[in-house]
Amino acid sequence: MFIFKNAWISITRNKGRNILIGAIILVIACACTITLAINNTATDLINSYSSAYAKELTLAFDRESMMKDFDMRGEEGREQAKEKFENIATYTIDDVKSFAEAEHIESYYYTYSFSLNGNNIDKAEIETDSNFGGFGGRPGGSKGPMGGSTMDFTLTGYSSVESMSEFINGTYTMTEITDNAWDVAFNGNYVFINEELASYNELALNDKIKLEDEDGKTYEFEIIGIFEDNEESEDSMMSMFSNSANTIVTNADALVNIDTENDNITGSINPTFIIDDYANAEAIQVELYEKGLDETYIVETNQEIAEAGVSSVKNVKSFATTFLIITLLIGGIVLFILNMINIRERKYEIGVFRTIGISKLKLTMQFMAELLVVAFIALIVGAGIGATMSKPVSNSLLSSEIESSMNSQDEMQNNFGGPGGMPGGPGGDRGGNRPDFNKMSGVPTIQAYDSIDAVVNVTVILELLVIGLSLVIVSSFASMISIQRFSPLTILKERS
Amino acid sequence: MAKNNNKRTKKEVVTIEPKKEINKDNILLSIQNASYQYSDAEADEYALRDVSYDFERGKIYAIRGRSGTGKTTLLSLISGLERCTEGTIIFDGKNLKNINLDTYRNNQIGIVFQSYNLLPYMTASENIILSMDASGQKIENKKEKAIELMKNVGLKSNYADRRVLRLSGGEQQRVAIARSLSYNPKMIVADEPTGNLDKQTEAEILSIFKKLAHEEGKCVIIVTHSPNVCEIVDEIYDLKKVK
Repeated sequence: MFIFKNAWISITRNKGRNILIGAIILVIACACTITLAINNTATDLINSYSSAYAKELTLAFDRESMMKDFDMRGEEGREQAKEKFENIATYTIDDVKSFAEAEHIESYYYTYSFSLNGNNIDKAEIETDSNFGGFGGRPGGSKGPMGGSTMDFTLTGYSSVESMSEFINGTYTMTEITDNAWDVAFNGNYVFINEELASYNELALNDKIKLEDEDGKTYEFEIIGIFEDNEESEDSMMSMFSNSANTIVTNADALVNIDTENDNITGSINPTFIIDDYANAEAIQVELYEKGLDETYIVETNQEIAEAGVSSVKNVKSFATTFLIITLLIGGIVLFILNMINIRERKYEIGVFRTIGISKLKLTMQFMAELLVVAFIALIVGAGIGATMSKPVSNSLLSSEIESSMNSQDEMQNNFGGPGGMPGGPGGDRGGNRPDFNKMSGVPTIQAYDSIDAVVNVTVILELLVIGLSLVIVSSFASMISIQRFSPLTILKERS
Repeated sequence: MAKNNNKRTKKEVVTIEPKKEINKDNILLSIQNASYQYSDAEADEYALRDVSYDFERGKIYAIRGRSGTGKTTLLSLISGLERCTEGTIIFDGKNLKNINLDTYRNNQIGIVFQSYNLLPYMTASENIILSMDASGQKIENKKEKAIELMKNVGLKSNYADRRVLRLSGGEQQRVAIARSLSYNPKMIVADEPTGNLDKQTEAEILSIFKKLAHEEGKCVIIVTHSPNVCEIVDEIYDLKKVK
């Protein structure tokens, strides 16, 4: 149609006007590209974090709701509370397996704990040992909800690597480890011990330690790793040892076998369930009650912890979104004003077109076509410039998050005995002496971003074109309406 | 109806002189008791009132009158830029009230203005071709046709690709006339077409109009103050203010 030919002639012959409009759209396109790119990249980071953190659900003792029924100021109230506390129905490994079959629960792991005395090793002499604190501590499950331990060592058995939360979160870091540690760690009587206990008893890797129960029955374990406790002692002024000095880490099966054989051993089970969605936590709680979980327990999720890691990324995303809205708003207003000025300046031209019989509709289409062609070219050029600029800008804005994502995986792997954690020791090479993290649902495997590449993709370009062209159409709407109101005679009279 | 803020007093009601003898079979345009009021005018305030006249094919007409007598208003009604508020205008047997005025302007009549009203960013030929395109008529070899039209109005062919701003006033007016002829209209309406031109150029332009009327059978209506124009026309109509 001739209107497109006229539009092209007008664009090419009125360069100044169109360059001005194009420059403004180009700036808007640049800003939009950068903000859209940041937005998409931030979304990727957030998704990466949220997929890295398994959605975990644990059982917690609802002490607060139980205690409110008792007057703890008086002796009688305390006694009643204690009685109630001791009579709470607990859960066993079989219960946990039953719970794990609930809808919305995908998998589970657990830790199993009890205490034994030393036979050929001595307890590191510390003033306090609060691992199994007295009244008010977390009761756990199995044979006894509470109760202090008078025995030498606390044995903590993990069902899988996923359950080794202290190593995952960095409380414990492996300092020495045997070459085949992770091949055997969950298949037999193998243990990791605290380096303070090792030092105290002059123990080394592959040494065998003996522990005994109250009846004097002994159990032999082989040391396959030595770890360091990174947390300060709860009462460092009173003790030269860390809280976990007498904690011996092993696998849950080993402890369950011992427990099964001995009625006098009181074990405690702490399960963690991997669920499909945090939103289903309440439904799971109801189902677990139906499956026999005592109602003094409630379910808790790791949602807050998982989301805390991406709060700064969310801030950047929010900033980008706000910036995008402001850019579009200001850009839209500037374009609107420019279009109005443009149309007023072209009144004479409109008068001529109308006089020679070009209809208002065709004229509006021609002017719109001119604007859209200029806008399209400016948007493409702006997207190109924005794409170039978005990478350094994104990397700069998200630098701390990128660094964090890069470090977190290495740090966690080092806790299990990576190269940084064990200088000169066995298994020093990457991947040689660590579990396969990629196959574990409960271990955060955060995607590492050394830089944010390909932030401007087809999606961003399409979003930009839709936003940009919509903005142009909306901002030119009023000026196009004004064309409809122009009388050619009036225009030409004014001209004369 | 166009809104116009040009206030007129009630005394400035205009009329036209009585009809003269005409050949009714040859009538192309017939104005019958046409009046025009601006939208913001009072009830008895007219820019043009009760005008009746017929225009024949093959004749050249001059409409003259002092400023404010409604010459331009009459021209805008004839050229379909406005519709009369009362009365009827019949063109080639059709009432202008019932036809699309855009189509009327881009096919049936050619309009020539004192200030040429060409698009300055286009070349002479592009201005002419634009009118051909707007008419929607199937015209072969538009560029050649444009050059031919330019030659017919006394312009050299090498002016075809020249921006109109680089042409003199007389040359621009010739381009405007060529444009008005580009789709072979039956009637040419010109508003002070020689108002900005010297006497020599004025004479040349008028000869073109005379040729269009007398040799090509077109009806040419010129709104003018110029005595030179009045000398060459077939009929003169004076618009006068009525006290």
